Amino acid sequence: MHPTTLTLSSSLILVIAILIYPLLTTLNPKPKDQKWAVSHVKTAVSTAFLVSLLPLMIFLDQGAETIVTNWHWMNTAPFDINVSFKFDHYSIIFTPIALYVTWSILEFASWYMHSDPLMDRFFKYLLLFLVAMILLVTANNMFQLFIGWEGVGIMSFLLIGWWYGRADANTAALQAVLYNRVGDIGLIMAMAWLAMNLNSWEIQQIFFLSKNFDMTLPLLGLILAATGKSAQFGLHPWLPSAMEGPTPVSALLHSSTMVVAGIFLLIRLHPLMENNSLALTTCLCLGAITTLFTAACALTQNDIKKIVAFSTSSQLGLMMVTIGLNQPQLAFLHICTHAFFKAMLFLCSGSIIHSLNDEQDIRKMGGLQNLMPLTSTCLTIGSLALTGAPFLAGFFSKDAIIEALNTSHLNAWALALTLIATSFTAVYSFRVVYFVTMGSPRFLPLSPINENNPSVINPIKRLAWGSIVAGLIITANFLPSKTPVMSMPLTLKLAALLVTIIGLLIAMELTALTNKQFKVMPKIIVHHFSNMLGFFPAVIHRLIPKLNLFLGQSIATQLVDQTWFEAAGPKGMSSLQVKMAKTVSDSQQGMIKTYLMIFLLSTTIAILLAMS
Amino acid sequence: MAALRKGLLTRALSRGIKPGICTNIIGARAASGAPQGMLPGPYPKTPEERAAAAKKYNMTLEDYRPHPDDGCGYGDYPMLPDKSQHERDPWYQWDHPDLRRNWGEPIHWDFDMYIRNRVDTSPSPVDWRTMCKHLFGFFGFMMLMFGLGEMYPSYQPVAPKQYPYNDLYLERGGDPDKEPEPPKHYEI
Repeated sequence: MHPTTLTLSSSLILVIAILIYPLLTTLNPKPKDQKWAVSHVKTAVSTAFLVSLLPLMIFLDQGAETIVTNWHWMNTAPFDINVSFKFDHYSIIFTPIALYVTWSILEFASWYMHSDPLMDRFFKYLLLFLVAMILLVTANNMFQLFIGWEGVGIMSFLLIGWWYGRADANTAALQAVLYNRVGDIGLIMAMAWLAMNLNSWEIQQIFFLSKNFDMTLPLLGLILAATGKSAQFGLHPWLPSAMEGPTPVSALLHSSTMVVAGIFLLIRLHPLMENNSLALTTCLCLGAITTLFTAACALTQNDIKKIVAFSTSSQLGLMMVTIGLNQPQLAFLHICTHAFFKAMLFLCSGSIIHSLNDEQDIRKMGGLQNLMPLTSTCLTIGSLALTGAPFLAGFFSKDAIIEALNTSHLNAWALALTLIATSFTAVYSFRVVYFVTMGSPRFLPLSPINENNPSVINPIKRLAWGSIVAGLIITANFLPSKTPVMSMPLTLKLAALLVTIIGLLIAMELTALTNKQFKVMPKIIVHHFSNMLGFFPAVIHRLIPKLNLFLGQSIATQLVDQTWFEAAGPKGMSSLQVKMAKTVSDSQQGMIKTYLMIFLLSTTIAILLAMS
Repeated sequence: MAALRKGLLTRALSRGIKPGICTNIIGARAASGAPQGMLPGPYPKTPEERAAAAKKYNMTLEDYRPHPDDGCGYGDYPMLPDKSQHERDPWYQWDHPDLRRNWGEPIHWDFDMYIRNRVDTSPSPVDWRTMCKHLFGFFGFMMLMFGLGEMYPSYQPVAPKQYPYNDLYLERGGDPDKEPEPPKHYEI
């Protein structure tokens, strides 16, 4: 094996081994030391990050990618399942980023969760999640990907329902599992189709063999899977509900890593989609409606975590739009940059929440610019990066996406929706920053505001650096695989920036207008639509479970009995008999003489006819 | 002697309950093997039956209302209002705070649908019809507009490439002595 390949694959497998080691130590019945979470888990993740930089540098220098098939796991006749890893452009870049973000979040969690008696278990769950995520991104076959996929889904359930004594947290965890399951139907259907028609789950073989097939069905399955996992419109309510979990969970799973798994799946299998216009159009339209709908919902929310959650959903919609534009590399770039500033936004939210004694309502925050200068500065930086302010991380990905969108031959409404959603991003980001950092405090004077702990500050600072330079570093070092359109009118080139500035100006104008609070709750139809999340949860979560459960209950308790013991049994039979009896007895009027006469007459006529 | 009397007393107190050591001590028992009087029965036709059923289900006679006798098999089980646990006061000191229920309260026929993890029947700020209208109207409008967008996609105007010097007349091997025809070029 060539030394480059050997170094690449062994360092990446070493990364996975370093992450699994703390999990194995928990099998030891001896009680762990007090600082296990920090000394073992966080150290493992930071070590793994440093180790994963080596393959990244090799890839940067030589462009080397490897596919490693380690072990033939099982087979049924001609169908093989192996343990194989694909260390290509996507997984080599994503792994260090995921590890960097996780490292920061674990350090933050050591402060956030320090009063929790089960903090060690929390860290174990996060580590298990991370291992599943890395398995997902490095998988070279659908089975391994599915293992990672389900793994992240289950860990999401366990972590959202961390405070399981809370009924709302249980409902949210259940919602996450059920919505993800609906998406999994699509993934399993795609896998079944691939197994049946292409007889392989290895990605390279799928690409080779799919040339002669109509891939619409498996592609729609994959899009359904991405809809479920990445909270696209229709299967999106679980993501804002997932904010019931602790903030480190929201920061890691529901912003940077797990929710991008759906988009990552589509990026991985993009060569299948390139020539299928139905799949691309579906992605485009789905992404566009998601990004607008969730951005509109974010406009009127008052819980800081919900706003950031809807913002995540909106950016996921934008990534889906990019897939629909046939630009998987831009979508991946956005995944990478988004991880940094979104995780930072969540960590800043967590720091603010804890400092204000677990207050999450932005209407009860304010003036934190002077009280928590670093956190509010990083919140502002993160919000600017999110809106695509020039030369921060988000700019390189978002601006490139919008340029590609403007210069493509595609659905005009999708284009319009995405631009409107971009302006909404600016509006709700400004709203968060205004309510949290500006003005005068609207909380109680005795709040445990504290920015002195390095476990809080260092992760936020690290992610702030990432939010500033990550876009530049990635764009400068990696060539685009598809030629971007370079020539376009100035208006189109500046469209993203213009739309963002318009959004910002509108937000500032509205703030100035509504500075003096006149009405507590405005009675505007559009406000209700946005505040109640488009009425989607209110309608769907009441209608569908009620119908299903009612039907199930009726079937179980009444329908079976009524059908088999009554309708198909005595009562049914008796009703049929009664019908027949009534019909027959109606014709029997008891007129014996008439019947006898008719009988005689007809017999006579018959005999006469027979004789003649 | 005292122990014997105590045993007799305990047994007397727990009369009607299935015998067993635990029942003699704590009075708690399993739901299985319930005595005939505690099981749901047929639809109560007489006022005495109604009173007995109300007592059985731990309800007052005024509150007790059985399901209508239409052959669906409800028997004398009380028909409670279709309200989920979400509508109950979250701040009241319930016996079971997570279930928002007191001990001995009659259980709704569809109680498993109305727990806090399931269907929420609490009144919404906006009425049902408006919500459905707005949601499905929004979705329908979006589908319509996407359809229109597919019919009329957006694109940048493109044209064939235009070259200078009379469309590169000389470079393409044109006669240097002849005067070339000036080509028509457009500006987009």
